[in-house]
Amino acid sequence: MLPETLILLVVLASLVLYAVLAGADFGAGVWEFTTALQATERERSLLYGAIGPVWEANHVWLIFVLVLMASAFPAAFAAACSALWIPLLLALAGIVFRGVGYAFRSYAAGAVRQQALWGGVFALASTAAPFFLGASAGAIASGSLAVAESGRFEGDFVLGWLSPLSLFSAFFAVGICAYLAAVYLAREAYQASEHDLVARWRQRALSTGLWVGVLSVAGLAMVAMEAKPLWRGLALRGLPFMGCSLAAGIFSLWALWKMRFTAAAVGAPAAVAAVLLGWGAGQYPLIVPPALSVETARAPEAVLRAVLWVALGGMVLTIPSLAYLFYLFKIDRRKRPSHEIPYAGTAASPGLRR
Amino acid sequence: MENLMAARLQMAFTLGFHIVVACFGVGMPVLMLFAEWRFLRTADSGWRMLAKRWSKAFAVLFAVGAVSGTVLSFELGLLWPEFMAVFGSVIGLPFTLEGFAFFLEAIFAGIYLYGWERLGPRAHLWSGVPVAIAGLASAFLVVTANAWMNAPTGFELASRKVVSASPWRAMFNPAALPQATHMVIAAYIVSGFTIASVYAGSRLRKGESTYRRRAMALGLGLAASFSPLQILAGDWSAQVVAKTQPVKLAAMEGQFRTQPAAPLRLGGWPDERARATRYALEIPGALSLLAYGDRAAVVRGLDEFSPEDTPPVAVVHVAFQVMVAIGSALFFLSVWAGVRALRLRDLPPSRLFLLAVLASGPLAVVSLEAGWVVTEVGRQPWIVQGVMKTSEAVAQARGIPWLLAVTLGIYAILAAGTIAVLRLLAREGAQEAGSAS
Ligand code: HDD
Ligand code: HEM
Ligand code: HEM
Repeated sequence: MLPETLILLVVLASLVLYAVLAGADFGAGVWEFTTALQATERERSLLYGAIGPVWEANHVWLIFVLVLMASAFPAAFAAACSALWIPLLLALAGIVFRGVGYAFRSYAAGAVRQQALWGGVFALASTAAPFFLGASAGAIASGSLAVAESGRFEGDFVLGWLSPLSLFSAFFAVGICAYLAAVYLAREAYQASEHDLVARWRQRALSTGLWVGVLSVAGLAMVAMEAKPLWRGLALRGLPFMGCSLAAGIFSLWALWKMRFTAAAVGAPAAVAAVLLGWGAGQYPLIVPPALSVETARAPEAVLRAVLWVALGGMVLTIPSLAYLFYLFKIDRRKRPSHEIPYAGTAASPGLRR
Repeated sequence: MENLMAARLQMAFTLGFHIVVACFGVGMPVLMLFAEWRFLRTADSGWRMLAKRWSKAFAVLFAVGAVSGTVLSFELGLLWPEFMAVFGSVIGLPFTLEGFAFFLEAIFAGIYLYGWERLGPRAHLWSGVPVAIAGLASAFLVVTANAWMNAPTGFELASRKVVSASPWRAMFNPAALPQATHMVIAAYIVSGFTIASVYAGSRLRKGESTYRRRAMALGLGLAASFSPLQILAGDWSAQVVAKTQPVKLAAMEGQFRTQPAAPLRLGGWPDERARATRYALEIPGALSLLAYGDRAAVVRGLDEFSPEDTPPVAVVHVAFQVMVAIGSALFFLSVWAGVRALRLRDLPPSRLFLLAVLASGPLAVVSLEAGWVVTEVGRQPWIVQGVMKTSEAVAQARGIPWLLAVTLGIYAILAAGTIAVLRLLAREGAQEAGSAS
């Protein structure tokens, strides 16, 4: 296979990992946002504790997507940045405030007012970030960005990104994040034997899961009407992915229903991954449709080769480290970093995290 | 304000913010690992407390560094789409490598920060080592990309399109090694002196304690051992600038006329209208000697270049003077600290010494920023020296001045939040230290 195709696959894989890992971190914030008034301290502690050790590593997948695009497909990167400059800036603001909101909240232990303030910032920003990232993805998928053959953006800098599909994707992305987070949190609560929290997160996961399922069918209909070229690509190459997504989604709901939380925590991200892979397959070889394709946007051969080798070599170091991180904090539950979790060890949380 | 000016200010401001925080990402892990190592060796829990306290401060700064760095990754595309469209591929390699450095840093920071009770003492110490290495690597790598903008090599251009490139040659451009070395040392100096300065302040205000004494000694030790090296690295940088960017050298030195046996000017004010640098203390022949290793060598002056290709001289010259003056002052402070450590070990430090250490942190940050002004403003009007003008690279979108205003607001909130949280941590730390001693 050609190096540019392989790099594109690495980009797509990183995007998938970003969506299913960092997406859930955003989702936790979405829940914090929508349940701000009813959440108990114990619930919060589960939610914030789940993100703590992993969110920064999860965030790096996005950086990785950006650098790979900028290095391997510079023309497409520049065109997308010009055309999507408003939604990307808004997403960026969300990412910034989500990160510092979380960190400041965690380390402001003791100062109740500051902590509440940063918790609020975290919740709002966690919702904004996937919303605008989703909008950006939808704007690209719609194929209606006014990018010329030369890579210049000739549309309107303020409103050029808006389309029904981009708005739909914005809400869809938030929904996906909320679903992933609810599924993972149900699993974490189950492992920590927090039975009332299990019930709550399971119920939330089931209801958002159904909603997201309905939305995705609506989304397909919208693609069929609004983005004809993508629809044709999907019909040509994307059908298996759409089928997998549907199956995995239904499987995850069934697993939730049956209280098989680890199975659900496999099925839900698989469904999300299949949507993104299907999008990639349907759109290939275009990167920023209609004008910029793999062929027109790619970097010189030597750069592609160097970047590809570095990317593969780097994975050899990164993947095992990442696996260890997740093993340590998501699978091996023996000891918990009690001193780092806000509220743990206070009277309000007896029996949390053994 | 037009787009170009606003975009430049935006870039300068966000980079100037990130760079300070990023320095702590490079230096703090070394300090906290050293303290933890001392704890393992001595079983003195005071060291462990120090390591834990610093790891919390590091966690906050790391998060701020990560988000402010993310802003930069987006900005390269959002503000300079032309630059990225044409040259993104050429400097893609160091950025891709840096992506992995970020991964390792973030992964092991997660393990280290949340693993105090999950890992054995030795394993925990080791889990911090990749953080220190990856921090160093990311600083090094990103600066090679910047160095490429100063000394672009490793690509062929035809009608504004890169037709072939050798990414490794681009990465190891002539400015890469000296600049990256100088930057990494700067990161250690900045974090060491800043930490020392914090504890010098509390010793002055609140009196002596073992905890404060140790903390200051550690920071000072790191910074003082690197500051002599920084002068050598700076000299190396200057020699490379003399070769690759003679205009920049002339601006740094306020050298208007081409002349043999050029003098080194200390201080002074370049008067661009009169084409002369006034009020400077001149050391005859020293510039020729430092830049080319020969007292008689000819140094090219600004007048040899067309005015539209020269940077603003006064800014570059003054920034350079500030960096060198502070660099020298920090060197003398380091010698003083070294003498104290070897000869006067048991005597309490004089007030004057503590005041000097108190000043060293902010001064180091100022010289860091001044150094970047020299590099970046000194390269103007080019974004890629001799190849692409900054004005050709800028985004066409409307509203960049508004963006700048919003950004300033957001960063003010970030800075205020960071300071508030660090102060909370410090207060908590003072209480713990108080109850422990
Ligand atoms: C703690 C910070 C610090 C200190 C004490 C010094 N510098 Fe520096 N200097 C930097 C921090 C810095 C920097 C911010 O890190 C720069 C900006 C770009 C770079 O590579 O390093 C820099 C750039 C820089 C450049 C321009 C490189 C270029 O444009 O390619 C020169 C010539 C020097 N320095 C020389 C010196 C000398 C002779 C010093 C000795 C007294 C010195 N610096 C002390
Ligand atoms: C890979 C590293 C870097 C890249 C790609 C980069 C890129 C740029 C670009 C595109 C500009 C705008 C054009 C210009 O005015 O020069 C700029 C300006 C500037 N950058 Fe850099 N930069 C890098 C590193 C840094 C760092 C680490 C700093 C430190 C604070 C810095 C400080 C500045 C300053 C002060 C300006 C403003 C120059 C002016 O106003 O004339 N740069 N940089
Ligand atoms: C154009 C210039 C730059 C860009 C695009 C950039 C980009 C980034 C990004 C995306 C991150 C976040 C990684 C994460 O999520 O963990 C980051 C963090 C970091 N950057 Fe930069 N950076 C630039 C300049 C610099 C420079 C000049 C240094 C040199 C000291 C530096 C050192 C670091 C370090 C050490 C971190 C780790 C975070 C921390 O410890 O706080 N960066 N940078």
